[in-house]
Amino acid sequence: MSLRRTEAAAFRLAAAGVRFDGRAALAGVELEIRPGESLALVGPSGSGKTTLLRLLNAAALPSSGSVEIDGRALNGMPPAALRDLRARIGFVHQDLCLVPNVRVLSNVLAGRLGQQGLAASLRSLLQPPRAEIEEVARVLERVGIGEKLYQRTDSLSGGQRQRVALARALFQEPRALLADEPVSAVDPARARSMVALLAEVSRERGLTLVVSLHDIALAREFFPRLVGLRGGRVVFDRRTGEVTAGELERLYALEGLELADDGAGRSP
Amino acid sequence: MTALAAVPEPRRISGRGLVLAGIALATLGAWLALDAPLSGLVPREGSWRIVRGFFGSALQPALDYEGEVPEGTLPLLASGLAAARRTLVFAVGGMSLALVFGVVLGFLASSSWWAAERRGRSWLGPLVWSSARVLIVGMRSVHELLWAVLFLAACGLNTFGAVVAIAIPYGGTLAKIFSEMLEEAPRDSAKALRELGAGPLQVFLFGQLPRALPDMAAYAFYRFECAVRSSAVLGFFGFPTLGYSIAQAFENLHYAEVWTYLYLLMALVVGIELWSGALRRRFVA
Repeated sequence: MSLRRTEAAAFRLAAAGVRFDGRAALAGVELEIRPGESLALVGPSGSGKTTLLRLLNAAALPSSGSVEIDGRALNGMPPAALRDLRARIGFVHQDLCLVPNVRVLSNVLAGRLGQQGLAASLRSLLQPPRAEIEEVARVLERVGIGEKLYQRTDSLSGGQRQRVALARALFQEPRALLADEPVSAVDPARARSMVALLAEVSRERGLTLVVSLHDIALAREFFPRLVGLRGGRVVFDRRTGEVTAGELERLYALEGLELADDGAGRSP
Repeated sequence: MTALAAVPEPRRISGRGLVLAGIALATLGAWLALDAPLSGLVPREGSWRIVRGFFGSALQPALDYEGEVPEGTLPLLASGLAAARRTLVFAVGGMSLALVFGVVLGFLASSSWWAAERRGRSWLGPLVWSSARVLIVGMRSVHELLWAVLFLAACGLNTFGAVVAIAIPYGGTLAKIFSEMLEEAPRDSAKALRELGAGPLQVFLFGQLPRALPDMAAYAFYRFECAVRSSAVLGFFGFPTLGYSIAQAFENLHYAEVWTYLYLLMALVVGIELWSGALRRRFVA
């Protein structure tokens, strides 16, 4: 890896493992991601992609090994510092996790909650300052739904809601953007434009981008680096052009045992 | 070919069946213990006149007093409207206090929030939510009329006493239902906010509360309607609401007047229903 020692990695995982109820969701993960780099996590359902993203988001802590974000180790970090760290990492959840019965504006404004005190956040809920509204409008404009600012979130289509979730993450002014299967709920054409948008905004703003994807073709098209996960372990981590068809086939190969004990889609 | 695994036989007597049979038996037993023959519902000889007189007036509510009233008494409709206004005011007073109790205690009693937000102090959550629940049970297990009797004995015929008598049990009931609604609301948005660094109260106010708010508002409207009825009934204890006018008219056998007051009460309830329906159409649909 061509990492200069002077530059702190955006994410560095060393022998990182996560266990839930005695079952290993992730084991012995070695991963280093440079600031501004973009990569896709690929692998079958239940391979640990979501868990790995949660580690990168400081939403889960490693049960073994270590995770460093911007050069700071997660284990033993006090709650306030964890909060600050999370506030600067944008996460687009698979099921979006928006509040459906409020306006798009409120959902996007919520992106800054981690950087505000209670009083400031209440004020911006009741009467958002003009400047903040304009900022939200610009972010929405950038993700292609500028006109939806004052609409109720549940009146939007699935693809538009995805963009609201992305806008909330961008409004955090994050250093890194993480997205968990950002295309699972939309048709192929919209899936492609969503991934393209993620790649584009990340490049524009110099964000580190990590996206988990089922769709190998999309991953190959938009990401220069692929990390293959299977059974909670990294099976390959290389430049996209160097990943062989055989490796991908083995990555997704079905085993009878797995079907019987399918941890698919579990997001603890 | 492998043989199919044997499908287990259903049990003859299931636990659920036993519970249902037990409930049915207990209900039957309760009715037997009631010792309430249907013949008890047939009025006695002299009471028929009262029943006929009362229901006979239903279509002819009084527009003026049926008997002599002292000089300077407000006209019937004016005094009825004033009583209706007081009924509403008592209900608004009681309900607004109850909402404060309900939201605060409902939040404190919502264990899922405490479980998600505990930060090392694992004893704090259970301590708070169990004390909140004990308080809630205490508040709602005594009926508002009994609270009113207590306040009457303690402070006399005091308006604030009547308002608090409504606010205590209503606050308890709201808190119980609100906490259940908060627990049952989807948690995904709260989780997302926690993961972008929001603090515990921010998670509650911006992630969890909005998800439960439509249900909470609908339930609060329903309880407001109940509060109007309770406020009217407090009149039987001497508070100047519609119940007071109804009790007086009834004692004087002025059934047409009773109906006037009853129609005013119904108008209040229907009015609230229409108002809440309009709000629901605007905000929920």
